Parts: sequence; structure tokens; C-alpha cells
Amino acid sequence: MSEADVKSWINGDESAKRMLDRVLTSRPSFSLPPPLHRIPLRVANVVEIAGPSPSAKTQILTQTAVSCVLPKVWNGVHYGGLGRPVLYIDLDCRFDVLRLVEMLRHRIVQVNGCSSTAGNEEILKLSMRQFSYIRCYDSFELLATLKTLHHRLQKEKESNGIGGHLLMIDSIGAFHWVDRASTTLPLGGKNRKCLSLQNVLEIVVEDLRKLLLIHPMLVIVTKTAIVGTTGNEVKRNFKRWPSSGTPDTSSELERLQKPYFREYMPSIWQSFVTHRILVQGSDDHLAMPKSQENDLAYVSEWLLPRLNILDKFVVRDAGVFLVS
Amino acid sequence: MASLKRLETEFPILDRDFQSFCALRGIFTVQDFLIHDLQSLVADAEQQTSSERFMQAINQVLCVIDGLHRPWSNGVELMEDAQKNKHVLSTGCEGMDFLLRGGLHKGQVTELAGPSSSGKTQFCLLTASTVAYKHMGGVIYLDTGNSFSAKRIAQFLNQISRPAFDEMQPIVLQKVMNSILCQSVFDIFSMFDVLHCLESKLKSQMCRGDNDEILIIIDSISSLITPILGSSGSQGRALMVSAMSLLKKLAHEYNLAVLVTNHTVGGDGGIPKPALGESWKTLTHVRLLLSRDCGSDTYHVSLLKHPSAASGKAAKFIINN
Repeated sequence: MSEADVKSWINGDESAKRMLDRVLTSRPSFSLPPPLHRIPLRVANVVEIAGPSPSAKTQILTQTAVSCVLPKVWNGVHYGGLGRPVLYIDLDCRFDVLRLVEMLRHRIVQVNGCSSTAGNEEILKLSMRQFSYIRCYDSFELLATLKTLHHRLQKEKESNGIGGHLLMIDSIGAFHWVDRASTTLPLGGKNRKCLSLQNVLEIVVEDLRKLLLIHPMLVIVTKTAIVGTTGNEVKRNFKRWPSSGTPDTSSELERLQKPYFREYMPSIWQSFVTHRILVQGSDDHLAMPKSQENDLAYVSEWLLPRLNILDKFVVRDAGVFLVS
Repeated sequence: MASLKRLETEFPILDRDFQSFCALRGIFTVQDFLIHDLQSLVADAEQQTSSERFMQAINQVLCVIDGLHRPWSNGVELMEDAQKNKHVLSTGCEGMDFLLRGGLHKGQVTELAGPSSSGKTQFCLLTASTVAYKHMGGVIYLDTGNSFSAKRIAQFLNQISRPAFDEMQPIVLQKVMNSILCQSVFDIFSMFDVLHCLESKLKSQMCRGDNDEILIIIDSISSLITPILGSSGSQGRALMVSAMSLLKKLAHEYNLAVLVTNHTVGGDGGIPKPALGESWKTLTHVRLLLSRDCGSDTYHVSLLKHPSAASGKAAKFIINN
């Protein structure tokens, strides 16, 4: 190393202000709509939305996608979105694009009114272009998608220069049963890795980890929670899948609470998740003064980090609304 | 999945050297690549004498892998596809259409659950007739319990067209009836068979641009799935999930609506709930629960789940005799 090099190294690359600016643009924090609003989320976080079916999980993802793709300010009008690209990997194949459009329209009309239809359509298209979608019908397609995602993001970065994506996976356990039953044809040497549930998830986590190192992204994943039934079945299944990865006593508490959710994801996945929120339907039907129909209420609770706050929300045409 | 040896004929860069380099690391097929850590493989390849060729070969395999997943599409393309191809099919039942926001949506799987004699098969037959007549589309009807009745279909068709004619013209009737194809299946494997045949047929039709099938009805899918859902082992559930995955694929790629029926079992407090358990719940787009009061011909239906409507709504309808 020459003297000049050393000098320039000591001088430092940038001022604190420039660094802060750089970090804030390249590793932004996301302020997301309810029920994800309680905790500030940053890129490289992995959020798991767990809940039995139906508990409005896909709805929450769609709502989050809406506020992510909508620009913050456009043509001098404040829309209050994040203006960031969304990647949606659909393993359940139940995403409804028309629902996304419906909710985006609601938001745009809220700001603009119905007056400028052409302008509204333009902003809708602009936002929708930020949304990328892929469906996978089996684990191979998921792995192939993740393996080639780096190249795709790299290309995008070169052409647009935007980072800070939001990556969504709906829902991570979709191929659980298929992978558990899968077998590989015996072929070749002994050192060949065989395909199994464990291996697939290990490599999914590994690929995601590597992607997160290079491309700043916030990952939001849904997981269908399986409600454990009472009696022998719980005991039997519990023995089969000990819920590891949650060493705190909270899992102990959860087990006492009703209903009991059975953890079926391997520990490698559980240690990959940095935030976990539980959503479930509540038995209350809230009579809303505005609409004649009763809305079904859902309850959300942060499990990781544990916040002792229950948020109650309802889903209407315009999206998710907090009620308490 | 393709072995590297097979790929060599197409891509000569994947030569014998590269194959033995991969074989040493337990990689024989493209599938093995998928479950391998590519970065460590690249790092290994850089150590080798012919690293440049190996890197080219790895990039070639990555290109092959890129072809294994469906293409990414952006929101605008999705929206246009939905507006152009994903139409809504009226079921012929006003109450039901209202509940379903217009009817059965192409690209979605709708589940109709209900106890015995709650009108599931009647509804399926009515929907088949309506779709064949009003939407002039082909209907594939998979019958698992010999409950399909051509007579009932003809009866429905006569009812649907009544405002225009007293009795449907025999020629029209024949044409419409011809577009409903009924196939008996008695186990899940023959269903896979039928669906795979259908897929290849649709694929070739898609190339020619004349797809007339627009609806698949499986009455009832639960009688195919229940026998394979044993208490232990994952094979049964794996088959169930793959069957639904295939149905969702057909629905989305070839713009079909899918209607399946399910029976009910006693839930908490004896209230009937759809059968097939927890892991089934996530597999369909729309879930409906049907019931009928004893002796009356009014059917009650409630929405358990819908991608774009609040669940919990209910409706009533009548199916004429």
C-alpha cells in the first residue's frame, strides 16, 4: 500500500452527514400500515405473519404492497406511499390482482377525488409497474426463482438504480406436505444431497440470506399456523415436531393459551425470522355504524419481539382498518 | 429433471471435465444445482485450472435454471391479463352470483361444502348448464359418485332458455349438451390422469388460440381425497396439495374456473363444518358452506372465505324443480 493510499484511507471516505444520507436511502426503514405499524422495520428484517386460515394474511400483504408501491409525492400531490418496488412470490397461488387494483384505486381516489380519471389511471399504472409477481407451483420453481433473483435485481439496479425492495412470500409452508413426501431417484455417488423438506428450507434460507447481504430488502412472509387440536393428537404431534428456536418462555405461555398453534417449520427457518406477528380471527362481529353489515374482526399480536398489545382490525373494501 | 450429461448435447460447454467437477460435489442433475449453494461452487470453480470454462458452464446452468420458473410479470401485465382473460361466469343462481361478486371467477378454485342433500350436486349441474349455455364454453365435469344426470341438465337448459322459446330447439340443445363433457373418476390417480391429459390438450389448443373449455367441476373432490388422508404419513396430504396445485395451475394458465365440492363433518357443538381438515383450508380461493332446511327448497349459503369480499356474508336461493 502506498503512502497516498494510506493517507486517503485515514482521511475517511465521507462525512457523517453524507453517510447518514447514504444509509437512509440505501437501507431505508419502512413504516408499514396496520397491523404492522407497531414496530419500525428495516431492510434485512424478516417478518413472519403467522395465523390460521382465514385470518386476512394475504390481505395484510396486499395492503402493505399498496402503501409500498404508491409514490410519496407525484406531480406535487402527496400520496403518502413509499414509492418502492415490491416482489411478490406466490406459493399459494391465491393472490388476486384485482383486489390490489381495487385497494390502490381507493387510496388514489381518497387523495385526488374522482375528478381526474386520466390522472388517476396514470398514477395507478405507475404504481402497478413497481409491483412484480411470480407464482411457483413447487419447491423447485421457488428455488429456481431465488437462485436467479440476484441477477434480476442486479439488472434492475443497473437500469433504475433503486434498491430497498420489499420481498413477500405467500405462504412459506405451501409445499410442506409435498416436500415431506418427496424422494429422490438414487443416482450417482453417495455424496449427493437428497431432496427433503429440511434441505429445501435450508437452501431457501441460505439463498435468502445471501440475497439480503447484497440487496437491501425487507422480507415479509406469511405462514399458515396450524391449530393444534385437543387431547392425544397434540401430544403425539408435539413429540414429532418439537418447536425449537424459541428458547424464551413465551412458547411455554403460548401453549397454555388457547388455541394452541403447532410449529411445523424447521429450526433453521425459525432462527432466520427476526420478527413474528400472530393474526387470528376473533369471535366478535363488530357492528359498524357506517355499514349495515357486520364486519368480521381480527386480532393481531406481536410475538417477536413480544409486545403485550392486542390490535383489533377489520377488513373492508378499502383495506385493513384498526378498530381499537 | 435433466441430468448434466443429457444437457451436454445442447450446451457443449457442460463438458466431461465440468461434469466430473460437479460429480465430485454430488451434483448430477439440474435439480442438484438447485439444492446446492452456488456461491461455494463458484468459489471452488475459481480454484480450478480451467476456471474460466467452469464459470461459463455455471452461468449456462443458471440460464437453464432461469427457464425453470415462470416468468416474472409486473402489476400492469397482471392487471391486463385479469381484465382480458379472467372473466366471471354466472352460476345461474342470483343469490349465489351476488355473494360471489358476479359468479365463479376464472383463475380461481371455488369450494362448495355442505352436508348430504344440501344441493351441492344440483348447484353443480345448474352451473354446468348455465355456463355451457350463456357463456358458450366447454365444461369438464368430473363425477366421482355417479350423480351426474344428463336429464337434469336438459331440464335446466330448458328452464334457462324459457323466456325465448317454450322448448329449446333440439339442435341448440344438442350443441349445448355436447359442450359438457362428463367423466367418471373414482380415485385420485385417475383424476390426475384426466387433469394431465386436459393440461396437454389445453396447451396445444392455447398454441392454436382456440380454448373453449372454461369450467372444471369436480363433484365431489372430497370423496377422492378422504380415502388417501390416513391418520399418519404425509403421502395423502402431499397428493392432496399437489392435486390442488395442479388445479390452480390449470385455472390460472388456461383461464378456467374450477368448482369443487366437499362434504361436511360435525364441528364444535355439532355444527357442520367442511371436511378435509386444516391443511385443506388454505388450498382454495373461495369457500362456501351450503345448507338446506329439512323439507324446504330454499338453500342457504354462507361465505367462509373470499379473496376480495368480507367473509361471513350469507345468501338464500332456490333451485327450481
